[in-house]
Amino acid sequence: MPSASSRYLPLGAGVLLIAAILVFPSLAPNPYVLSSGVIVLNWAVLATSWNFVGGFTGYISLGHGALAGLGGYATGLLITKADLPSFVALVAAALLVAALAVPIGFAALRVRGASFVIVSIALVLILLLVFQSWSSVTGGSRGLVVPRPFPGMLRPEHHRVFFFLYGGLLLLALATWWLLDRSRFGMGLKAIREDEDKAESLGTPTFAYKLTVFVVSAAFTALAGGLYALWFGDLDPVFQFSVLTGSYIVLMALLGGVRNLFGPVLGAIVVGLALEYFKVEFGSTPLHLVTTGLLLGLVVMFMPDGVIPSLAALVQRLRNREQSSIREVTAADLAEQRRREREAANS
Amino acid sequence: MTLQTRGLRKAFGGVVAIDGADVEFQPGRVNALIGPNGSGKTTFFNCVTGMIKPDAGQVTYGGKDLTGRAPHVVARAGVGRTFQLCRVFPRLTAVDNVLAAVRPGGLLHGLRSAHRRDERERALGWLTRLGIEHLADAEARNMSWGQQKLLELAGVLMAEPDTILLDEPAGGVNPALLDRIGTLVRELNAEGRTFVIVEHNMDLVMSISDHIVVFDRGRPIAAGPPAEIRADERVLGAYLGV
Ligand SMILES: Nc1ncnc2c1ncn2[C@@H]1O[C@H](COP(=O)(O)OP(=O)(O)OP(=O)(O)O)[C@@H](O)[C@H]1O
Ligand SMILES: [Mg+2]
Repeated sequence: MPSASSRYLPLGAGVLLIAAILVFPSLAPNPYVLSSGVIVLNWAVLATSWNFVGGFTGYISLGHGALAGLGGYATGLLITKADLPSFVALVAAALLVAALAVPIGFAALRVRGASFVIVSIALVLILLLVFQSWSSVTGGSRGLVVPRPFPGMLRPEHHRVFFFLYGGLLLLALATWWLLDRSRFGMGLKAIREDEDKAESLGTPTFAYKLTVFVVSAAFTALAGGLYALWFGDLDPVFQFSVLTGSYIVLMALLGGVRNLFGPVLGAIVVGLALEYFKVEFGSTPLHLVTTGLLLGLVVMFMPDGVIPSLAALVQRLRNREQSSIREVTAADLAEQRRREREAANS
Repeated sequence: MTLQTRGLRKAFGGVVAIDGADVEFQPGRVNALIGPNGSGKTTFFNCVTGMIKPDAGQVTYGGKDLTGRAPHVVARAGVGRTFQLCRVFPRLTAVDNVLAAVRPGGLLHGLRSAHRRDERERALGWLTRLGIEHLADAEARNMSWGQQKLLELAGVLMAEPDTILLDEPAGGVNPALLDRIGTLVRELNAEGRTFVIVEHNMDLVMSISDHIVVFDRGRPIAAGPPAEIRADERVLGAYLGV
């Protein structure tokens, strides 16, 4: 049985998160802080979306930045070229990217481990080339200007609206992840993470499972990217199709913990704020890259379970020092077995 | 349903692991597949269950052609298996290891809770039957080798296969557990499950099987009831090195 704390903790954290989303805009002292909040929420949605693939199946994608970029460009182009209303374009773009995720997943999910990581990087580089050189449609490296959905709205109000839109999207992504986490489908995905061949041998159609969750992940990622396009209003291929974006997402998810519903959100808050701070203090320098690489390395080496799980494990250890460990149960079991063997031998 | 292969062949580079094997395992029996190290027993299991594709030949189950089908298709046809180096899901709890064998029928089915009471009860039932229910909430990686072997079997049983392939169930387990596994196989067989067991422990093989197939260098050299196999000179020559 899941323990009471494991059942109520997510609920408590969820309530806390909703409250924080509701009050933050009124507490933010200026539009800059509010816009930082929007950026952090964008990261939180991206990291949570990534975690559909990374957390459940264990496939580490560095290409999710590109899926967000696709969502952004699709939204922008559907507005500018097809004259769709902004939010219709956003949803249509997400569906489009989800559809595109089928062939992408079909190719990428055939390989595992490091090979998958490399394929996901290749995806980013290919898309960067395409979007840079296909300038008649995408605007190339001059960028694409996306019309604002609320013309005439003032800056602070604009940030506030998007903060809430992102908040709603985050809650939707979290609710979906939670639903999968407790489902049979989710159990199959976790089995894939643990031992894919074994899962397959028990009757799980592993490829179909992976592909499905990849498509779901891509759709949420595209929604975040599309929302960003509507908010920021200007897309540049160099930033939209960047391996760095994908690396930040992975760092956030791993730092917060990929096996935990709120792990990626926590990671996004920590890393997202750090990124904003660095930008203000040092501007965009190679320091970004070095720090990201260093942090990624440290987390993978020392906290592969992430920060939340490591802390939770520590609390657990402190709380039930007296509780017997499994190894002790095993030892008792063995003793009992030996006793029975002796009895059998004596009789 | 009869599990049958015709002209099965599999080579790894120059090593011919399975060399045109015609084998038949009748339903309702405890079948054994024995043979010296490297004679192709595990490769045979892998070909039958779709883990590797044979170079040639045919695998049928109850007359249905399963050659080269994906492992999950073979599993869903009713053939379950364990692995020689016992495979469990290390960071899932024991009960989740068993629940992972539940196959949702469709999308809505798949979104239902994995811990629905009836299924959890069924999973706990298998853990109880194998004597490891007290470890239900322990992560598999913290369990002993013997416990992991029992857990692996519980997962396979949860999927309700008609035929179960066991690759060295007695490998590395203590004598008490060995007895328990032997008894369990006979019980499960009496309940209607067919077994094919790869095993080096001859006492166990001779005591629990109805039918024995002997492999040597990738093909069967003898088949029959235990008494017959024990007396067969080719078997003694190939297997016991006499
Ligand atoms: N994946 C593989 N790649 C290369 N060679 C392999 C592979 N699997 C098996 N072999 C070779 O095929 C032959 C048969 O191996 P297999 O594991 O099927 O034998 P076995 O009868 O199960 O032996 P054991 O009793 O030791 O488990 C051996 O020579 C082995 O080295
Ligand atoms: Mg073997």
